[in-house]
Amino acid sequence: MSPPTDMLAHLRRLQRRWFLRDSALGLGGMALAALDRGEGRSRRQIPARARSVIYLHMEGAPPTLDIFDRKPELDRLDGEPCPDSFLQGERFAFIKGHPRLLGHRHGWLRAGNGIEVCELFPHLAQQLGDVTLVRSMFTDQFNHAPAELLLFSGSPRPGRPSMGSWVSYGLGSDNRDLPAFVVMTSGGTLPSAGRSLWSSGFVPTVHQGVELRSTGDPVLYLQDPAGYDRARRERSLRAIVDLDREHHDAFGDPETETRIAQYELAFRMQSSVPEAVDLASEPPEVHALYGTTPGATSLANNCLLARRLVERGVRFVQLFDAGWDIHGTNPTDDLMTQFPKKARELDRALAALLVDLRRRGLLDETLVVWGGEFGRTPMNEKRNGSTLWGRDHHPHCYSMLLAGGGVKCGAVIGATDAIGYRITENPIHVHDLQATMLHLLGVDHEQLTYGFQGRAFRLTDVHGVVRRELLA
Amino acid sequence: MTGASKPEALIVAPEVPATMSPTACTISPCCNMRLCAVAAGAAASRRTVVLVTVCIRSVVPWSGVGRPGDGCRRAAGEFREIVSRTAASGAVHDVVATGCRAPAGGENGSMRRVPRVARSAAALALAVGVVSDCAEAQGIDAFVAEARARQGLAASAPADPITWLRRVSLDLTGLPPTPSAARAFAADERDGARERAVDALLASPAYGERWAVWWLDLARYADSQGYEKDGLRPTMWRYRDWVIDALNRDMPFDRFTIEQIAGDLLPDATLEQRLATAFHRQTMTNTEGGTDDEEFRVAAVIDRVDTTMSVWMGATAGCAQCHDHKFDPISQREFYGLYAFFDQTADRDRPDDSPTLAVPTAAQREVAAPLETELADLRARLTVDDATVLAWGEGLRAAVAAFEAANVEQSSWHLLGPIPAADFDTACATEFAVERDGVRLDAEQDGLRWQEKPEFVDGAVHTWRGDNSAFYLHRVIDAAAAAPAVLVLGSDDALEVWWNGAQVFEAKVSRGAAPEQEFVPVALRPGRNDVLLKVTNGGSVGGFCFELRPTQLPREDVGLLALPGGDYGDAEIARLRRAYERFAPEVAPLRRRIAAVAAELAQNAGPAVPVMAELAGDERRTTRLLLRGSFLTPGEAVEPHTPACWPPLPATAPRDRLSFARWLVSPDNPRTARVIANRLWAELFGRGLVETLEDFGSQGEPCSHPELLDWLGAEFVRGGWSIKRLLRTIVLSETYGQSSEQTAELRERDPYDVWHARGPAFRMNGEMLRDQALAVAGLLSATIGGPSVMPPQPDGVWAQIYSGARWVAADGEDRHRRSLYTFWRRLSPHPAMLILDAQTRESCVLRRSRTNTPLQALVLWNDPQFTEAASALADRLLAECGDGGGGDAECMRWLWRRCLLREPTATELERLLALLGQERTAGADERLQWTVLASVVMNLDEFVTKR
Repeated sequence: MSPPTDMLAHLRRLQRRWFLRDSALGLGGMALAALDRGEGRSRRQIPARARSVIYLHMEGAPPTLDIFDRKPELDRLDGEPCPDSFLQGERFAFIKGHPRLLGHRHGWLRAGNGIEVCELFPHLAQQLGDVTLVRSMFTDQFNHAPAELLLFSGSPRPGRPSMGSWVSYGLGSDNRDLPAFVVMTSGGTLPSAGRSLWSSGFVPTVHQGVELRSTGDPVLYLQDPAGYDRARRERSLRAIVDLDREHHDAFGDPETETRIAQYELAFRMQSSVPEAVDLASEPPEVHALYGTTPGATSLANNCLLARRLVERGVRFVQLFDAGWDIHGTNPTDDLMTQFPKKARELDRALAALLVDLRRRGLLDETLVVWGGEFGRTPMNEKRNGSTLWGRDHHPHCYSMLLAGGGVKCGAVIGATDAIGYRITENPIHVHDLQATMLHLLGVDHEQLTYGFQGRAFRLTDVHGVVRRELLA
Repeated sequence: MTGASKPEALIVAPEVPATMSPTACTISPCCNMRLCAVAAGAAASRRTVVLVTVCIRSVVPWSGVGRPGDGCRRAAGEFREIVSRTAASGAVHDVVATGCRAPAGGENGSMRRVPRVARSAAALALAVGVVSDCAEAQGIDAFVAEARARQGLAASAPADPITWLRRVSLDLTGLPPTPSAARAFAADERDGARERAVDALLASPAYGERWAVWWLDLARYADSQGYEKDGLRPTMWRYRDWVIDALNRDMPFDRFTIEQIAGDLLPDATLEQRLATAFHRQTMTNTEGGTDDEEFRVAAVIDRVDTTMSVWMGATAGCAQCHDHKFDPISQREFYGLYAFFDQTADRDRPDDSPTLAVPTAAQREVAAPLETELADLRARLTVDDATVLAWGEGLRAAVAAFEAANVEQSSWHLLGPIPAADFDTACATEFAVERDGVRLDAEQDGLRWQEKPEFVDGAVHTWRGDNSAFYLHRVIDAAAAAPAVLVLGSDDALEVWWNGAQVFEAKVSRGAAPEQEFVPVALRPGRNDVLLKVTNGGSVGGFCFELRPTQLPREDVGLLALPGGDYGDAEIARLRRAYERFAPEVAPLRRRIAAVAAELAQNAGPAVPVMAELAGDERRTTRLLLRGSFLTPGEAVEPHTPACWPPLPATAPRDRLSFARWLVSPDNPRTARVIANRLWAELFGRGLVETLEDFGSQGEPCSHPELLDWLGAEFVRGGWSIKRLLRTIVLSETYGQSSEQTAELRERDPYDVWHARGPAFRMNGEMLRDQALAVAGLLSATIGGPSVMPPQPDGVWAQIYSGARWVAADGEDRHRRSLYTFWRRLSPHPAMLILDAQTRESCVLRRSRTNTPLQALVLWNDPQFTEAASALADRLLAECGDGGGGDAECMRWLWRRCLLREPTATELERLLALLGQERTAGADERLQWTVLASVVMNLDEFVTKR
């Protein structure tokens, strides 16, 4: 930000800053990073319902029709050709010719509050009283990478800041020793759109997602080289700080002071991060609840880590779990083998996360979001004549879960038609989801903007409506 | 020269022409004084230039298209007249009038057309005159001084020579000066030492490497395709090397522009000019399953428009892809007018990134030259006269006649297999039951039964599966009479052929089956003929292809032989000649030699680089406006055109990419020169004169020094678009050479150094930081160019991408190449560079942010490249001054000089010695002690900052 060159521009800028100025919250830890640049300052404009977010993204798009949206009519029509009216003008990623409808292949359970859930999710079924189930999500992209980009950055092309970066930029961190935006992956591969999903785009890179890794250093370059112990690292830190102070006295560059603060923070992170990710310090009953094994790479471990991080004030925890792209081309992506395997990995872990957050009194202030990047077709994909069951990409409707942080408990929002092809009630676009999430965090999605290329950009692009029907 | 009259000449400025309103016409007192002083002091032998900026208030904006209104030009002309009339004594040699100044609060070369206030031309007119004695750099200083004075600020003292040298070395070459170069510079007391230092830096090949980093960000250069699989582009480095070379040769920027945007369309385009167009093939390719290629082709074309407009015009056209631009006058139709220039290339989001162009390196060219001569020679020898060709044709005709008379009938094929073996070689070498016992169609052989395969028709490839397995094929061919014939075969993989019980062919090659891979001449005997094939497959799919022909000639050429001898026209003879060259036995040795030379040439053809290639006439697309930017909703057809707010293309120019490229750098369009000058300025000063490098439009930040930017643009063009020359001018200015010390007052009044009351100082980018560390440690490789390299990165960073590509850390020299050679994968660029503010380059990086984070401290502490550098520096220290007798203090001074190019102060020395003492007490061995010390110095603010 440069100083104004004329009075008008100066006034305009003052005005903008006034609107964005925080009224309630103090400066977060990242304020140290660049206090004088106005970064890390809270841009909260409305009362916040949630302090943190844990976003569980099921990479590849889970078949939510087989989890949360039971369709007896689809089961009845199993194997019948899909009616032509559904296929006019449609584009599919893989389905060719005239597909046949595919009914559910597993059983159903009735959760405590009456919602029907696939029998592969018995633990989760018990927690549905605490969540809002949205059956009417939709998107406008049907390939993985663009759909994930749209979901996490508001645009299907790379280059924009991700949701977590916007939140970090808008609210900073509540923990001066940990980053505001943390990312963890499980399931063996990165998401299709790769590290763009936690890129800071054009907002300063201080807001990019920091990957917590399950093998090697939990944060890249955290471990000191051979021969260094804490005392040696501290001695060299002190020397750097003293010499930088000398230099600062000579040159008077405020950037030097910031650098000194960053070096001190780095030193603290070398203890605070290993402490935060030390699952071995959790009691056996917690491991029993989640099904976690310290040292493993799993969605369960990441769920437990996410709880430890929000407990420590991390603002946005993003989990990616790969392996949900249920096409039915082979047993590693079909409804009968892969889907139950992924269900087992998810069911207990997500249920445990909700239980654990509630028990600790964190659920009220933590927004938990679960979902994929699009839905899956009610038709069997049958790519290259495959004899396995699977579903193709389907942008028109899918289900998501939201819990805690100011959303309703036990609600079901929206509905789809008899075979789960189109939404019949309450369509909610991914931009609406983004707007609503920011709202719960106390940020007006139309006000949280960043000037770039002559435009005030925002997460929701020029779209997005806060969906009050989701709010408690 | 007598200076006395000169100042007076300019003080008469109020003597303005009647067309100017005297009340509106002023001369800034500060400039006037400076003018007088410089003019008075100008030596007769030096060229004195009066710079005039004519400023027009509120009437015509400081026009980005650089067509100062007529009023402006007239005022400049009149001013020039005054100056030259009154300064006719020869002291003033030239008057340079530059463009107009922005109206208050206005735009930076905006595209908006402000209606001219017709009140009178006289409403214009504020003229600022500045004198420069010769050196262009002083033009910069004059403008800066004037603006700075208006803010009530004063210049800082010059930086000390070594600080200046380090600054300029980092800026021009991305590397610090060596201590010996610093010593030599400090000792050089002759005039022009700085000029000589700058010239040497500009001449160094490291210059091209440093500035390539700048350009490659704009070009969104990467070694991969982006999107889900992020497939590799292992040849793209040829374009990166083109950029380095073009910068080092100081290719004029207008040519640099035209070659990259439309090099392929230049008359007689050279390979290098076509290679340059890889600039716009840096767009991403989506190979994800189930994607629509047209969707991502359109995305690539849109990216080309956005990138071009941002990089060259500082304009944000992207908004207009969906709707008319809200703030700047680019309509949606105009956006697609620009889009249409780029819509006619052959690329269309294919996984192989075609079209590509093989561009040999210099070394390959050397190998290829004699081979090309040899090949031409061999080909000439293969060309025989028509009579020979026709005589050969007669022989074929006889063979065809005999074959037809034989009235051949073939049975169905029978197949036996797969017969698996331990490995491919064993499967090839083993003589299975068929070979030992003969074909027994009714019996079980090797545990299998023969199957009849009527579907195995001639001329088509038939496939099967079976790893490391043999397959036997048998058929019977009945002939009424003896005749020559040719078995035309293809196989996947190894092939053996028996004709009537005798082996006639054997080849062990791994390949996919295709028609016409082998030609085996045989003799049909009257009655039954037996043909047996053994095809051995290595892995996955195997297969074969068979055809029985009278001669080797392809079917379509057999008809030729029906022509009576005398009836051959030129076309027929040409076809027969091709067949002769391909099949005649007498030229077989020549053919083999040609094949061998051609293969060697192909190996030296160079990497195939994706390039721009214009579609031919009948393939050209009709460009349509895309409603809401979606390729699914095309609207009205749009012809290529430039937006109306800018000067038009010349009426006679064809509406193609080449005309568009020329338009970008035409004299009518000085905006490009200003935008690029602003980018260069920002690289050196950390901040552009227009801070929003990517947006000169009404939404961009206003320009802090419009006259200066205008002047820099004009200088750039006048200097033949030489980047080196413009950089030289800037770095030799006093403005650039100031000390970067900040007083509390300055920090308060100008924290971002907008008014240049001090020298530039900011943290280096990631590439410079790593290169500097390797350089001071003596590890940095001097090799220029070549395929991208993989220095160490933490394990597992690439492991999770949905593709098999692996990061294999280099050993030896490639571990320590300059950072611009590090392999750039879009989904996962080197993590240390990302932490140091590099971006993924999925789209054009218009401006890197510059952050200051704890993760950066962790990189400099713990990244193996930085720890290796610290250890190597410690080793060097111990080798060079371990026994120097100067003790610890001398070692410390050595370390300090090597990294920071100066002597430590007493306090600094004391602090370092204290740390050394602590390390000794803690029991570190000597190497570790000094490694710790080296790492400390390499983490200092002074080391990581260009000061």
